[in-house]
Amino acid sequence: MLTLEAVTKRFGGLTAVRAVSLEVRAGDLLGIIGPNGAGKTTLFNVIAGYYRPEEGRVRFEGRDVTGLPPHAIARLGLTRTFQIVKPFGNLSVADNVMIGALTRLPRVAHARAEAERVIDLCGLGPHRYARARALPIALRKRLEVARALATRPRLLLLDEVMAGLNPTELVGIVDLVRRVHAEGVTLIVIEHVMAAMMRLAQRIVMLHHGEKIAEGTPQEIAHDRRVIDAYLGDEFNLAEA
Amino acid sequence: MDPAARLGPAQIDVVAQLAVSTLLLGGIYALIAVGLTLIFGIMRVVNFAHGEFLMLGMYLAFFAFTLRGVDPYLVLIIAIPIFYLVGLFVYVLVMRGVIHASHNVQIFTTVGLSTALQNIALVMWTGDFRIIRPWESSVVLRAAGTAFNLAQVVAFAVAVALTVALMAFMKWTHTGRVMRATAQDRDAATLMGIDTDRVYRLTFAIGIACVGAAGVLVSPLYAAYPQAGLQFVTLAYVVVVLGGLGDMAGAMLGSLIVAAVEVGGSYIFGAAWKEVFYFLLFIGVLVFRPAGLLGQRGAETLGA
Amino acid sequence: MSRLAPDRWAAVAMFAVAALTPLVVRDAFLLDSVILILLWGALSAAWNVAGGYAGQVSLGHAAFFGIGAYAAALMSARYAQSPWLGLAVGVALSVVAGALIGYLSNRLKGPYFALSTIAFAEVLKIVASRWRGFTSGSEGVPVPYRPGFWTLGLGHVAWLYLILVVAVGCYALQVYLERSRVGYQLAGVREDEDAAEALGIATRRRKVQAIVLSAAMTSACGSLWAQYVGFVDPSHVFSIDLSVRFALNSIIGGIGTALGPFLGSLLITSLETYLRATFSGVEASFTGIYLIIYGVVLILIVRFAPDGLTGIAGRFWAWRARAHA
Ligand SMILES: Nc1ncnc2c1ncn2[C@@H]1O[C@H](COP(=O)(O)OP(=O)(O)O)[C@@H](O)[C@H]1O
Ligand SMILES: [Mg+2]
Repeated sequence: MLTLEAVTKRFGGLTAVRAVSLEVRAGDLLGIIGPNGAGKTTLFNVIAGYYRPEEGRVRFEGRDVTGLPPHAIARLGLTRTFQIVKPFGNLSVADNVMIGALTRLPRVAHARAEAERVIDLCGLGPHRYARARALPIALRKRLEVARALATRPRLLLLDEVMAGLNPTELVGIVDLVRRVHAEGVTLIVIEHVMAAMMRLAQRIVMLHHGEKIAEGTPQEIAHDRRVIDAYLGDEFNLAEA
Repeated sequence: MDPAARLGPAQIDVVAQLAVSTLLLGGIYALIAVGLTLIFGIMRVVNFAHGEFLMLGMYLAFFAFTLRGVDPYLVLIIAIPIFYLVGLFVYVLVMRGVIHASHNVQIFTTVGLSTALQNIALVMWTGDFRIIRPWESSVVLRAAGTAFNLAQVVAFAVAVALTVALMAFMKWTHTGRVMRATAQDRDAATLMGIDTDRVYRLTFAIGIACVGAAGVLVSPLYAAYPQAGLQFVTLAYVVVVLGGLGDMAGAMLGSLIVAAVEVGGSYIFGAAWKEVFYFLLFIGVLVFRPAGLLGQRGAETLGA
Repeated sequence: MSRLAPDRWAAVAMFAVAALTPLVVRDAFLLDSVILILLWGALSAAWNVAGGYAGQVSLGHAAFFGIGAYAAALMSARYAQSPWLGLAVGVALSVVAGALIGYLSNRLKGPYFALSTIAFAEVLKIVASRWRGFTSGSEGVPVPYRPGFWTLGLGHVAWLYLILVVAVGCYALQVYLERSRVGYQLAGVREDEDAAEALGIATRRRKVQAIVLSAAMTSACGSLWAQYVGFVDPSHVFSIDLSVRFALNSIIGGIGTALGPFLGSLLITSLETYLRATFSGVEASFTGIYLIIYGVVLILIVRFAPDGLTGIAGRFWAWRARAHA
């Protein structure tokens, strides 16, 4: 479904993503982990069209999407959420989600109905008339997912939707991610929180200094020497996870 | 100009004259622009009322000269502290409340300030053009086939001295370093215990003192009237965008470029069209190099 | 949803009062005031399409106003053709200019965008003042008065109904923008462009469309203004003051709302008219006084009530609803 061929992205002298290749099949739930600054978000930005890679190609469902603008890629069925959430702050939750739904459903009435469905799926029902900027962070992360989901993506990139949540909120969002996956959406999930990732992902890719240093099942990753080394010296460790 | 005049040895003189004109004009533009770029660099606010403080400086010089017979260069000595205080006052009254607000709020706050100041001047002093002719305006200096009046040369010298002093202040003093640290990262500065409110207060006051001083310096050269600031400030925007908003050294370079475009453009196409050139230059830079000629691409699209 | 009702009612009431005025009074001064309130309201609504709904805050909309004003004035004064033809030409030119400005300034945000729009308006101002052979330069163009609808030589009552139709049209366009797909997508663009892109919205194209629409509306109103006032000169029709005025009405009334620009215009234009009548003897100082008030009100509004009068009214309404419940 998604193929990355030796993708490289540089910022001036810094190589944020170095020759990363990746293969995602329909129905996958792929996790991407790595310490802060490893290049995870940059990789998402490249896949979703926000950055054009200096080298390499991105193919989505057999089509070369390298260099397409993000909205064109989103219309093809590949969208993403933002690590630093970007709600339409002055609009209601319902309007936020509806703007996502309008991408597939040009009629406002249809989009509104679709938005209602997604809002309920994401557990935002009680907050549908709240202004997005007034929501607490856990709900803003849900809104981020809901809005992306309303565009009916086939591949959805989730960037740290679990970071900064308390254990209860965490359970809720893990549950939501599972439900989204069960609806048939292929997922790539970036997560800093290892424990959640271990339970969620079918396969995990480890990025470090912009390079893919390991790939495998959660079990394999947890025992990979390079992974453990990479996390040493970082502020968290596997034991904590 | 008559094409025949461009031939022969006269041509060398023309080039020399144009070059020196560029330099003199550029020095004054630098002083106007440096305050604007300082305020933007540190406070992240484009001061759309910048030109109005220049206009007030021109009026100060005008009234000091006509009512008390004080030479503009003496006025400069009191103008700098006066405008520093004006800057402090305006900061506390108007700017402090919007320093963390959205771009739109900041834009319209300074636009409102500009409208109010312009029209206070109109009500108090009418729309008449006020020109002063102190002795230095009529002293002509000649060197190597070029000719200038003393007022231009002094304005240039003082403007450059003030600009350089300000740059030295920013680079070498503790306060200057604190100000630059705040410009780099507002939140980090707060965490480090920097009193950002004091930094902004200082920044705004210094920026206004610079442009007020520039107003006094140009008063023997240009007429004062309520909209006098507008012609200079649009030009200062060009300078500042050319140099990269917030970049003081860039502002010096930008001033010279704008002055060169103005001097060269008026020579070739006539004074009437000179503004078109720097506005086209302005649009070109905004479109193709919005972060300035030397700046890194992408800065202009950064949100918040 | 039901909270929207009061401001729709207010708009209906306002337009109804305007429509009934000529039946009750024939006083030229009063009719003139109503016409100006509606015309400035329509112009601010035009600005609001770009500045309010799409978040493209321009300080150079006088560019389009000036294009419209000059097109109509030159068409009737220089070519003795119908100003309606001039209006059409002006709209066409403004569409091109708007597309150009929108396209070139596409990546610019906040103050950078505002600066670039100022620069465009300034370039046009200079061209209009220096191209003497065509525009008569800074002397300006007097518009000949030839009675008739086709030549736009109308009496006050006819003008009032004409401008009322335009104002209602601009209002309706805004209401459409609030409810349509394109309107919601523009709101997304205004709130966060990156997020809008992720939802499949072509943000650049939408922004250009909003600016083009806004430019066309501004230009059409500019043409009518030129015919109504009868005189066009570059330092006024291309001035920053004018651009600020469009924005000011919208901000005071409530930026990004359909009623806001008209409410703002009602307030500011009445204030201006009142002061003009009161201080008519001392022309120069009078202009200054109301502009000082403009400036101060602008500072206060953006600081203390950035959502303007409709925002204040909305909060009051919500508060009352809670108090009654
Ligand atoms: N727009 C940018 N400009 C310059 N450097 C950037 C930019 N975005 C990210 N980087 C740098 O690229 C590296 C990878 O960042 P990022 O992809 O955000 O890491 P992660 O999401 O894994 O924490 C970091 O060193 C970061 O500072
Ligand atoms: Mg990241």
